[in-house]
Amino acid sequence: MEIAVNFIPLNALDVTYLLVVGFIGGLVSGFIGSGGAFVLTPAMMSMGVPGIIAVASNICHKFPKALVGAIKRAKYGQVDVKLGLVLGVSAEAGVLYGAHIQEGIKRSFGDSGSNLYVSVAFVVVLGIVGSYVLWDAWRVYRSGRMEEEKVSKLARWAQSINIPGTMMYFKSLNSRVSILFTIPIGFATGMLAATIAVGGFIGVPAMHYVLGAPALMASATELVIAFVMGVGGTMKFAWSGLVDIRLAMIILAGSLFGIQLGAIGTTYVKPHMIKVVMGVIMVLVLLSRAIAIPVYLSELHLINTLDPHLTGALKNISFVVLIAALAAGAAIVFASLWRGISLHRRETTLAGASVATFAPTTATTSPRAQLSPLGRFEQFLLASDGSPYSAGAVREALRMAHKCKARLRAVSVIAGGDIEHNAMGEQFVTKELDAARAHLDDIKRQASAAGVTCQIEATQGNQVYQEIITQAESVQADLIVMGRRGRHGLARFMVGPSTVRVIGHAHCNVLVVPRAAELVGRRFVVASDGSRFGDAAAVTAARLAKLYNTPITVISVTRPEHNDERRREAQQVVQRLVTLIKQEGVEAEGEIPHGRPDEMIIQTANAKNCDLIVIGSHGRTGLERILLGGTSERVIDQARCAVLVVKSA
Amino acid sequence: MDDSSAHSAGKPMTRAVLYGLASLLLYFLLYLFEDSILAFTTRGGWYFIVPVAIAFIFSYAHGNFTAHFWDLLGIKAKK
Repeated sequence: MEIAVNFIPLNALDVTYLLVVGFIGGLVSGFIGSGGAFVLTPAMMSMGVPGIIAVASNICHKFPKALVGAIKRAKYGQVDVKLGLVLGVSAEAGVLYGAHIQEGIKRSFGDSGSNLYVSVAFVVVLGIVGSYVLWDAWRVYRSGRMEEEKVSKLARWAQSINIPGTMMYFKSLNSRVSILFTIPIGFATGMLAATIAVGGFIGVPAMHYVLGAPALMASATELVIAFVMGVGGTMKFAWSGLVDIRLAMIILAGSLFGIQLGAIGTTYVKPHMIKVVMGVIMVLVLLSRAIAIPVYLSELHLINTLDPHLTGALKNISFVVLIAALAAGAAIVFASLWRGISLHRRETTLAGASVATFAPTTATTSPRAQLSPLGRFEQFLLASDGSPYSAGAVREALRMAHKCKARLRAVSVIAGGDIEHNAMGEQFVTKELDAARAHLDDIKRQASAAGVTCQIEATQGNQVYQEIITQAESVQADLIVMGRRGRHGLARFMVGPSTVRVIGHAHCNVLVVPRAAELVGRRFVVASDGSRFGDAAAVTAARLAKLYNTPITVISVTRPEHNDERRREAQQVVQRLVTLIKQEGVEAEGEIPHGRPDEMIIQTANAKNCDLIVIGSHGRTGLERILLGGTSERVIDQARCAVLVVKSA
Repeated sequence: MDDSSAHSAGKPMTRAVLYGLASLLLYFLLYLFEDSILAFTTRGGWYFIVPVAIAFIFSYAHGNFTAHFWDLLGIKAKK
């Protein structure tokens, strides 16, 4: 291949310029997985670098940058390497085909034809995809459900299609999908990369909307695709000796600072921010290219020849808007990062202060803790029957008591005293009591090892729930911790009759812990219907969240039959509780899911991988019907995580 | 946990300095031997390996440096 190549001398200004543009480009790429490089080719060309050298050097800086970014984001668990490699291979084919088309157009129509083709590709692809991405981000923002990502209908359909011999499991999708879907996506990504230098404008939205990957994972996985395409592209250009390694490495120097920062930024933002940044950049780039289209049309004599001044002005405006696109993206990333870090630091400081409030020495106990029975966690009653269903309750009661420096009383109640049990004989009851004591001794040993003060008592009563209530009142318990029966088979008595009755009758809060649930403080979900019970739940949750240093999601579910006024009311409830919780120094966000309350609460809790649901008890203890509110009962029954039922007097 | 992070506070600093020096050295060599490196990397053919290898080496040293750099400034990922 005979190509006349000029490698320009570089001065300090050029180097600084490349470092800055590289940094901003890296920042955006680290955040959205792509999109930081499109400005570099024109930027280098504006310095006098020949076009083909600019393209080659740009791609040579892209692959090590993508590699560093992918490794960084893999540490945050955001990368699906398998999906990236599978898409990367077909993207490579797309790059070759895209380049081939480009060459063909250039041969037939010259530079202007090629430029027009590129600009039209920009306008069409970015116009459709960019506006959709931006609209979707706006929709998510307005719905108030910024952390929840729904798999699109299209993705659900794609995942449901089973084509034997082509199915592959991808962890980011948590599903199998046919590679017949991934091949065209990869190919289109590669083609776009060859045409406009940013394949991610197709790759990321396609992974998210067509395959069903979460936005954060899609943007991180794009870095793997960019790496694969970048290595291939660099080899191709380096084979022809077109890579200016100095330019590539100088840009890399700036962009690696940027990509690290961009990747860190993704851990602080809600997923919809990926879409915001991507959408804003895409729409601005589209504008930039649209401005330049008349110039190319004029050069191809498809419209009247433009005045040279106008041509120059349009080209300059187009370039400025291109730079503005990148700058806008970088500014949003910076702002998100700044806000996220500041908030996180403030929370950490406040959480540290709240631990001190609960120091074990009584002298330092804040008067507020004494005056807030809702949020007081000083005396726990653990009710355990020694069955595997109580294992979670025992574990979490000890953990929470340790965290709250609370005293623990563990009780095991043997049902007895009625005719049925008397008939079984005293021997049977004694045997059961012995087994209960052995179990309680074991709990006491565990408590002692955890540094928790623990009393134990094995007792007998006609009604198990009544005995638990009596025990709780005798020690003035702030919290009763109980297990939950299995959800399947004969062991499923809804929540377990004792648990339901305890919740119905107890004056204190009740924590129901499923066997496998762990309460470590990932996120709490508080559900409120706007009643004072909901307020009590929020106050208690805030108190506990401070101890666990955990963010809270407040939800108020609106039903399909609710009118607009009721929906507005739900919005106000959530806003009020979020403000209240934030005033306590706890990170909080609000959501207004729409549907059946119990289903929505469970769905939100699962989607957010939360480890505690806090709900208010309606205390519906009728004469015969000692039951919770139906919603609360169903939530306790269905939840994978622990559920705290807050009682308000 | 907090204690351990406090104790190891000196370690990232050492690493950052080491990677930073390595990165600086690489860029200094690139500046010093600019012409010969450019000539060598643009020979084409199988010499395509050279720019690819250089890119990997730079990304290793400079990538690690930049990671530690933000870390030392207290800009760390959440959790």
